[in-house]
Amino acid sequence: MKVLIVDDASTVRMYHRNVLEAAGYVVDEAVNGLEALEKALENTFDLYIVDINMPKMDGYEFLMQLRSEDIDQAPAIMVSTEAAELDHTKAFTAGANLYMVKPIKPLQMMTYVRLLVGEESV
Amino acid sequence: MALKKSNTTAPEETQSSQRDCSEISKDLISEDPSKRRWAARDIVSCAHASVMLLDQLEAEKDMSVKQVILSSLTQIGDTEAVNGLVRCLRTEDVSLRNEAIEAMKHLPREVASIMASLLNDPDPDVRIFAVNILESLCHPDVEQWLIDVIRDDEHVNVCATAVDLLGEVGSEKSEPALLALKERFTDEPYIQFAADLAIKRIIGS
Repeated sequence: MKVLIVDDASTVRMYHRNVLEAAGYVVDEAVNGLEALEKALENTFDLYIVDINMPKMDGYEFLMQLRSEDIDQAPAIMVSTEAAELDHTKAFTAGANLYMVKPIKPLQMMTYVRLLVGEESV
Repeated sequence: MALKKSNTTAPEETQSSQRDCSEISKDLISEDPSKRRWAARDIVSCAHASVMLLDQLEAEKDMSVKQVILSSLTQIGDTEAVNGLVRCLRTEDVSLRNEAIEAMKHLPREVASIMASLLNDPDPDVRIFAVNILESLCHPDVEQWLIDVIRDDEHVNVCATAVDLLGEVGSEKSEPALLALKERFTDEPYIQFAADLAIKRIIGS
């Protein structure tokens, strides 16, 4: 299973990478939506973990292009520091399958990751 | 035959430098995005330019014009311009917010004078954006501001953002505050991870 982490904060990428790799996942990283789109065009991912606030291309724009251009329909978790209902709605409209508010605990993350990639059922 | 480089100065550019402020301010609200873009660039030397640019920024739909407006506000950098950029931090328009953050990074002196109030804003999102601005703000107080944030701010995500940055710009002076932060958020794995990483980077450097 291959996961693309899209976040401009290197510490966040490293934290998510550690959690996912400890669970046996293969991880790739992108620092903004633009780099993520390029990687999505050239690779196949089973899951995307996407931050909202990033320079050059934010998470909403990335997911909208990923879905509307039919580049990939693999599940996506949008992560943000913003907990407002409006942000959830915008994330789902853009194409997210799940919205998680930072900071994310490892157990919480892996539960949802396994559900979304079909390794566990509800 | 030798090729001669043609003189390709855009007529519009030449024309724009000769226009007066009343014409430029009319163009700033024109229906034509191209006219608005040029006006946003040319208006910087006119009186009350910041006010006019900020009024247009609120109404502007064209992203390329918005970018020029933000660039001009950065160039002007007066109190009005900086306050306008701060208002952009509160918008729901993510791309405009990010552009404002980038613009403010280029105004170290002006932004420094309001940084304490931004870092104490009641809205945690604004405090997070303020920390984001510190990322590239070349100012001698950046490390102390970040130490104050991780020592005093009660919001975990504001502290998390500050810790990420301290790992890059912090010195040994930050270490006690990082250790104290770990004590404050013992049940937050991300804070434990990020603080340990920051300490490791600081000691390593």
